[in-house]
Amino acid sequence: MRKSYVTNNIKLNEFDALIRITVEMSKYLYPYIREILKSKEDFEDNSVIWNDFNKRFIELIKERFNIESVRVKKLLNQAENDEIIIKYLLTLSFCISNRGYQKLKNFLYDF
Amino acid sequence: MQNKLSFHQSSASLEIIGLPDYSNNENKDQISIISQWKLTIVDKPLIEGKIEHLGPIMDAFYIYSNLLIKNEIPIYKSKLIDIKADNLHIHNIVLKSSKPNVKPLVLKIGNSLLSDTINCFDQLNESPNVRIKTYVPKNIPQKLRFGLNKKAKFFNFFITPFIAICTLILFSSSFIYFGNPFENIEKKELINPD
Repeated sequence: MRKSYVTNNIKLNEFDALIRITVEMSKYLYPYIREILKSKEDFEDNSVIWNDFNKRFIELIKERFNIESVRVKKLLNQAENDEIIIKYLLTLSFCISNRGYQKLKNFLYDF
Repeated sequence: MQNKLSFHQSSASLEIIGLPDYSNNENKDQISIISQWKLTIVDKPLIEGKIEHLGPIMDAFYIYSNLLIKNEIPIYKSKLIDIKADNLHIHNIVLKSSKPNVKPLVLKIGNSLLSDTINCFDQLNESPNVRIKTYVPKNIPQKLRFGLNKKAKFFNFFITPFIAICTLILFSSSFIYFGNPFENIEKKELINPD
């Protein structure tokens, strides 16, 4: 999915390290993640946060991902990507506890 | 004197009141015998119940949140609690009373309140001062999972050439039904040797 011509297989310790970084970032960013989810819940009254987040998310996808890929196209399609984004945000918000690393790892294995 | 512990996460807070199990030589700050619990969610009615209800309610939230993330149908039903998704953002919770003639308590919470509640339960589960048995998401041993990945890689390695060869076989076999032009010319030469 990435904009890269080199396919590197991730090693187990690198995979673990990435999960740990993601969990620590989620803990730190939980108030923001929560506000983004809340903004989508009251979209009519409070759409600014969701729109800003979605705009930046799409910008980053276009910048770093291979936009010719079918899966990436799905992420860019605003009609389809709401569900995917909400599920990713929820996954992150459920993994901010001390055992968040193990939880996120289990979620990823089950994807 | 009872011990009281509170767990907070943004708009949700969980309060546990109980006693330590002195027969087990526990610390005086510990709670092993829970006598009361309260779950407060901002702008929602207070949720409280018997001690035997806390475990099943926590289990329900954990199982439901797992279903929600894993792209399965997010519905959880039990004698005590039903949770289902109204849509992508709103979750409908029905808490049924064990007392007769008491109407069930219906709550609608959004994703933000759901994650606050789950995080309160996580704090309770992880607290060294409270002992409670709840649902624990399945832990699959790493070796087994990576073993499966290796099998998948092995399969992927062979599947592409396998399909390619099959396609070649199927495609080329259709040419069997067309005549060989050289063979026809030779046959004509045999008929007309001049």
